[in-house]
Amino acid sequence: MLLGAIARKLGNDIKTFATMPARTVRKWSYTVQAVRRGELPASEVLKVILSTIGATLVVLALLFPIYWILMAALSGSGSSLYTSESFSLFPTNPTVKPFIWVIGDLIVPSYSISAAIPFTDLAFVFQTPGIEILDASDYGVDRPSEFKHFLWNSLMVAIPTVLIAMSLIIPAAYALSRREFLFRRKILFLYVLMTQVGGGLGVALLIGMYALYVQFGINDSKLALAVYYAATAVPFNTWLLKTYMDGIPVSYEEAAVVDGAPPWRVVTEVIIPMSTAGLATVFIFVFLTGWTEFVVAQTLLGTENYTLPVGLYAMVDEYSIPWARFSAFALTFASPIMLAYLFAQRYIEGGLSFSGMEG
Amino acid sequence: MSTVSRAADRIESVPFLTRDDASLLLVLPGLFVFSAFMLFPVLYLLGISFTNAEPANLFAGEGVVAVLTFGDALFVGLENYADVLTDGQFWNSFGVTWLFVATSVTLKIGASLAIALIVTSELVRGKRVLRSLIIFPMGLPPIFTITVWRGIFSSAEFGLMNQLLTAFGASSVAWLSGRWTAFVAYNVTEAWLAYPFMVIITVSALQDVPEELHEAAVVDGAGFLARFAHITLPSIKRPVLFASILTSAASFQQFLIPFVFNKGGPARANELIVVYGYREALSFQQYGRGAAISIIALVFIGAFMWLNVKKGKLADGVND
Repeated sequence: MLLGAIARKLGNDIKTFATMPARTVRKWSYTVQAVRRGELPASEVLKVILSTIGATLVVLALLFPIYWILMAALSGSGSSLYTSESFSLFPTNPTVKPFIWVIGDLIVPSYSISAAIPFTDLAFVFQTPGIEILDASDYGVDRPSEFKHFLWNSLMVAIPTVLIAMSLIIPAAYALSRREFLFRRKILFLYVLMTQVGGGLGVALLIGMYALYVQFGINDSKLALAVYYAATAVPFNTWLLKTYMDGIPVSYEEAAVVDGAPPWRVVTEVIIPMSTAGLATVFIFVFLTGWTEFVVAQTLLGTENYTLPVGLYAMVDEYSIPWARFSAFALTFASPIMLAYLFAQRYIEGGLSFSGMEG
Repeated sequence: MSTVSRAADRIESVPFLTRDDASLLLVLPGLFVFSAFMLFPVLYLLGISFTNAEPANLFAGEGVVAVLTFGDALFVGLENYADVLTDGQFWNSFGVTWLFVATSVTLKIGASLAIALIVTSELVRGKRVLRSLIIFPMGLPPIFTITVWRGIFSSAEFGLMNQLLTAFGASSVAWLSGRWTAFVAYNVTEAWLAYPFMVIITVSALQDVPEELHEAAVVDGAGFLARFAHITLPSIKRPVLFASILTSAASFQQFLIPFVFNKGGPARANELIVVYGYREALSFQQYGRGAAISIIALVFIGAFMWLNVKKGKLADGVND
């Protein structure tokens, strides 16, 4: 159901995007005709054209750093981060080699599985076929990056984060949205307060956190880090999901109750299915909390357990790293996040207006 | 289900609780975990700030008892605070932090206001496309953006900034090794990080300015500047003020930019206060001092929260 909705939305987007040139051309031809007939002064049109060009230039200048990093990755220059060649707007001979360096080999090695039949000397040995998707050495890349290692660590942090956080957030959001109880307003207020200011709170508390983690001996544990991330994700996401659930009409639940559904079935068959989009958004935000956090991960984790952001930072500290490889690494890390964010954004546009308070 | 309703019945038998209060049980796990990882570290941090903790004594001993006694660290009262408050290094960091708040917030408001005016101007076509492009950096993870900007300000000959400078005939600058050049680099990066948020708020405020006011002013012969000063600014003052408080708080707590760029260098000159506390404890092993600095920073962060509640009408949304 959700996938269908997403597909429809994407379809609409593509249609709007594809027909844009045609519509623009039509508009301009109207304008040209109006000027010819003398209904519209030409100076007015010129002003519009110049301002539009100016505004476009400003926007492009703002986004230039992203373009620059992309070009740096594609140019594949062998020079290091601190002695790169001079920049050109388009790479002279584009290559994807830096990206192959980042991803490295994608080879599923062949395993042999042996099964002995009891009480006999017979044994079967299966040899699973090795699957070779991408062999980095084919492209002249000898020592690929540690990207996959970091990726694995990041997944091992982010997945428990999501599981823990969701099990804390969903019941709380439901109760805050639908029930009236002791301290409800106070808890909501605390959560909103934490949502609005508090980016640096985690860093300021880090000394206390670090000392505690070391004393309990869990400072190099990915699971302990995941619990911390889940805890920090609670206020904002509980609030977000609560706001979303507020938008579901109470009448659906009342109808279910009239039909004799017990409370837990109201939740599983009315509330959860109807807040799929809200749940998806919260899911993405919680996942990104664990996926992109740097400071705490860098302080707590040892080299073996570095997550992707820490790996990225370690690269920029390494003076010999080629620019192109650094850029490719950074982009491979960031691009899935951009996509996830753009997706999530559609759902929160309404919910997070001005102060995030409406609702 | 039966266990839940049984629990609800039991709660009902407590005099001042109602059956609905059982729902509190659904909120408590989240609240508990959150407090355990926020409140408890605050208390622990406060505790450390009254001791002479360093790794040798703080991490001595094992188990719960050692945690509660802060290892073998000794209680020294307010010595850390007295030490910190008489240290020139602290006042330097404190001053730089507030200077950074002042300059970066001015830069952020100025730039975002200009950008917002450009993308809402009636002379510009294709505004929707421009606007969605302009907030794109919001979706980038901060650590990505900041490492990329560090490359831009790369101190060597060929960082993007230095390439631009040489293209215009100026000589290149070792951005991150000079105190004030590094400070400028922090400001530019912070402005780039924050502008999407500021632009969103300013654009939505600008769209709420009544069109009739502008038309009436045009009839009266008011120029662009006069209309901006007398109509636009007063109407968008409140939301922009609110956004400024939020973004000031963000500037005050900025950690990643100085840390990733040059660890608050050169020679600890640009350590913003959060970086200062962090480095004092985790790079120079002075946990007691670091904790005292962090507590001082927390007091200011708390003040920002209070200001936010007062000015932002934060409580409004809770009263639904």
